[in-house]
Amino acid sequence: MKRPVQLLRTAVVGGASLAMTLFLTACGGSEDAAGGSGTIHVLVYGDATNKVEKQLVDTFNKTSKVKAVLDTIPGADYQSKLQTIISGKQAPDVFFNWGGGSIKPYVDAGLLMPLDDFVSKDPELKSAFLPSVFNTAVVDGKPYGVPMRGTQPVLLFSNDKVLKDAGVSAPRTWDELLTAVKALKAKGVTPIALGGGDKWPTQMWFQYLYDRVAGPELFQKAVDGDKEVWASEDSRKALGKLKELIDAGAFGSNYDSVKFTDGGSPALLATGKAAFELMGSWEYSTLQDAHPDFVKSDLGYGAFPTVEGGKGDPANIAGNTNNFYSVVKTTKHPEAVAEFLKLMYSDEFVKAQLAVGNLPTTANTPKFLDTAANPAYSTFQYDLVKKAPAFQLSWDQAFPPAATTTIHQAVQQFFNGQMDTDAFIAAMQSLPAA
Amino acid sequence: MTTATAPAVDSVEKPGTRRRPSRTGTGVGRPGFAWAAPAALFFGLFAIVPLALVLVLSFTRWNGLGSPEFAGLENWSKLLDDPVMVKSLWLSLLLTVLGVLVQTPLSILLGVWAAGHQRNRAVLSAIYFVPLLLSITAVSVLWRAVLDPNFGVPSQATWLFGDGNLFGVQAGALGVLVFVSTWQFTPLHTLLYQGAARAIPQVLYQAAQIDGAGRYRQFFHITLPQLRNTVITSTILMVVGGLTTFDTVLILTQGGPGTDTTNSAYYMYQKAFKSFDFGAASAIALLLVLVATLVSLVMVRLSGYDKMRSTMEGV
Repeated sequence: MKRPVQLLRTAVVGGASLAMTLFLTACGGSEDAAGGSGTIHVLVYGDATNKVEKQLVDTFNKTSKVKAVLDTIPGADYQSKLQTIISGKQAPDVFFNWGGGSIKPYVDAGLLMPLDDFVSKDPELKSAFLPSVFNTAVVDGKPYGVPMRGTQPVLLFSNDKVLKDAGVSAPRTWDELLTAVKALKAKGVTPIALGGGDKWPTQMWFQYLYDRVAGPELFQKAVDGDKEVWASEDSRKALGKLKELIDAGAFGSNYDSVKFTDGGSPALLATGKAAFELMGSWEYSTLQDAHPDFVKSDLGYGAFPTVEGGKGDPANIAGNTNNFYSVVKTTKHPEAVAEFLKLMYSDEFVKAQLAVGNLPTTANTPKFLDTAANPAYSTFQYDLVKKAPAFQLSWDQAFPPAATTTIHQAVQQFFNGQMDTDAFIAAMQSLPAA
Repeated sequence: MTTATAPAVDSVEKPGTRRRPSRTGTGVGRPGFAWAAPAALFFGLFAIVPLALVLVLSFTRWNGLGSPEFAGLENWSKLLDDPVMVKSLWLSLLLTVLGVLVQTPLSILLGVWAAGHQRNRAVLSAIYFVPLLLSITAVSVLWRAVLDPNFGVPSQATWLFGDGNLFGVQAGALGVLVFVSTWQFTPLHTLLYQGAARAIPQVLYQAAQIDGAGRYRQFFHITLPQLRNTVITSTILMVVGGLTTFDTVLILTQGGPGTDTTNSAYYMYQKAFKSFDFGAASAIALLLVLVATLVSLVMVRLSGYDKMRSTMEGV
């Protein structure tokens, strides 16, 4: 009795899978056959800003025959995944990067398309962006990237409720910061949240102190291959200041078990277990996603404190100048890519970035500043970036990737005491030049 | 396995006669090379060929872009002078030894207990088995969250964890790594011991009972000696797993604090996919292969595993 039913079922299942296979094959075939159409793959760093990239890809696909596909790689794995696929068949057409040092090896290997042609056809692809930012992705005199997110200066964020409870105001100088640390410790609060497990948040403290104490020239010399600067008076002075802060217990004792990437350190700030966090401007969208109420009520932010007697201009900033879209030379649809890149200075792009707390670096940005999610925050950043005489690119982006591990280990070991000043200097002197 | 049980069958059938070297003429031919060909091909393609390529790469300079440049012995001489490399080998050995020392007693006890046929034991054994079904990545992410110093268990149990800086000190980070592997892999070894314990002939226990041996004597004089071959199998699995520990390190500690949990496998990954120095990474990979081969040779020699002595003699 059962047999005919089973037979029927087998026939249906078999037929269905056969039909599906044929259907899929047909789909695969039509894509190549249609000539003008096709896809371009856009690869970006996976985080909260992806919704803006998604929106722009959708906008692009409404009018374009060639469809854009957005691929994301979660933050921590981005660089290594990119390196392994960029010279192969899986290479994206357009990809996210940090400009300068992060694309230099690809330019050297002849993998990237110089954007001169695009710019000569549409001069706005260059003129619509602030020159200082656009120039970060100029390698050997040729442009290789178009700014595609916001500028990301590193700021000192705070929980203003915690500060108020401890009777502390936002510190403007290094000494005020040390005083605030003492007052907060007395209140039983971790003064500064630090995602030491990720290591690059630790590095941010070095970037700012070196810039404040020695000015941007010291680090620039180091990147250019002058190893002696690490052993200079200024270098030791910067390390001494930092040591003072660490020894004052500013970061608590378990920061190396905390991470920014899993939401640990922002949560410390938002829940009032810590008072400050030094973080890139993306902290705003991260907090808005995870702790919207805190952003509304108690989130404070300010520039890094000045250091008395330092050689660096107190208006200098550090961080990521912007992120960039670069184009892989082997792309089959350069015209479509050029059209896609033009969206990066569109009004829609500027509005969408501002809405998530990012600050675009296009010429049309100022007229939309009041549409930002938090106009005060965006205006503060915009003024900060505009007035900054120097914008220090993150250390691990300025040096080639081969140096990253050593830098990250050294900053962590200096913080936890495994390296003293001399050992740290020796570690930095062992870095390869860019 | 067949060679191990064959003598026992022989001795039952024809007591007193010597074991014959082969059983030709019975009509059952031994498998020829054709039988091994698929496996050999697979092994060659996915183990031997990559190993050869890695050997070649270890003499080159390559960052993954363009083509490798011949570099002679540069990678190897740098490796031997590298303090992190030496430290990473010790850490690999330490993680392995700690893993074996913690997991073996646990899984023997659990396995022997689970070998009983009572219903509650069957149910509990099934529950104990669950960690093995989860992906090691998921397990690591889970434990990382559970052990968060500010929002996880340590913040509620300061009497035990202090400030909760488990990932910031070497002992803590190593402890977490050993604990998480133990949590995940003890069920596998428990399963091995459960099967082995069930295979021990009941007559041995009956005889021991008649002789007046208690449960402890039975355990130490019958169960443990009978589990000898399983102990070796399980230990070899643990050693191989321990030397190549990678996923837990990647997700839980990233080799930190500093280089304090950077074992050789993670160091290799760091060289290859963080520093994009595939030449040096290949040299580390080969060194790891050499060390692992050496360790397993020593283990086989010391344990007498190569002789495969039967535990059924005289039964």
